[in-house]
Amino acid sequence: MPAKRELIPWPVRAADVAAHARPGVSNAVRGGDFLFISGLMALDPRSGEPMRDTTAAETRQILTELAALLEAAGSSLEKVVKVNVLLASMLEAPNMNEVYAAFFSDPPPARTVCGARLPDGVKVMMEFTALA
Amino acid sequence: MREIIAAPRGGLDLRVHYGHHQSPAVRAGGLIFCSGMLPVDPETGERRHGTLTSEAHVIFGNLTLLLDAAGSSLARLVQVHALIYDSIEYDVLNRVYRQYVANGPPARTVWTAQIEAGFKVELDVIAAA
Repeated sequence: MPAKRELIPWPVRAADVAAHARPGVSNAVRGGDFLFISGLMALDPRSGEPMRDTTAAETRQILTELAALLEAAGSSLEKVVKVNVLLASMLEAPNMNEVYAAFFSDPPPARTVCGARLPDGVKVMMEFTALA
Repeated sequence: MREIIAAPRGGLDLRVHYGHHQSPAVRAGGLIFCSGMLPVDPETGERRHGTLTSEAHVIFGNLTLLLDAAGSSLARLVQVHALIYDSIEYDVLNRVYRQYVANGPPARTVWTAQIEAGFKVELDVIAAA
């Protein structure tokens, strides 16, 4: 029997952001034991436009939205197993790491961080795999 | 259930040596998710900069230690993301890669990225538990 695949809608409090979601891209999909979450970037909660703030502020915004998204899907930050972090500049990695550490209590998930060219002038993009 | 795989050698705990807020690997749902593997000395944690080939040898050595500690192995790799600093070295990566992942190789994607501390290669892998 094929495993179920279920799309997770954005939580209500982030509805304005959802209205600006990228067409054709689901933010979270449950498959097997896992919840796969798209690369999230920091969007202004009211306008849905990219925040284009500091790396620290964008990291905080992404992880705040992540917590809401995980909760809506019945998961939580404690169930995250792997995070891929893409930064516009690796020089900003310590600024990301400092904010990141405040969200993930011990023991933290596995993680890979690299520098990449990101769309829309954002400085941070984070992709997550969590237990459903 | 999420289970943390501790560093099998002192040098492989990047959180201790470099403050990265991450666990070396996490076992969940029958899979092992490894943090980005870098060419650091497995005993001391010192960076082992070199050629892409020499860095990849160190990484595969570290990955072998980590997967072994998790009850898995290179033969059980499911997916590999290979990050390299410049796509001109793609063939160089392949030549060293196939020494470690010979038969029935895992799914793989290679792309260029800025890797921390000026390293030339980093492996981000998922293995079967």
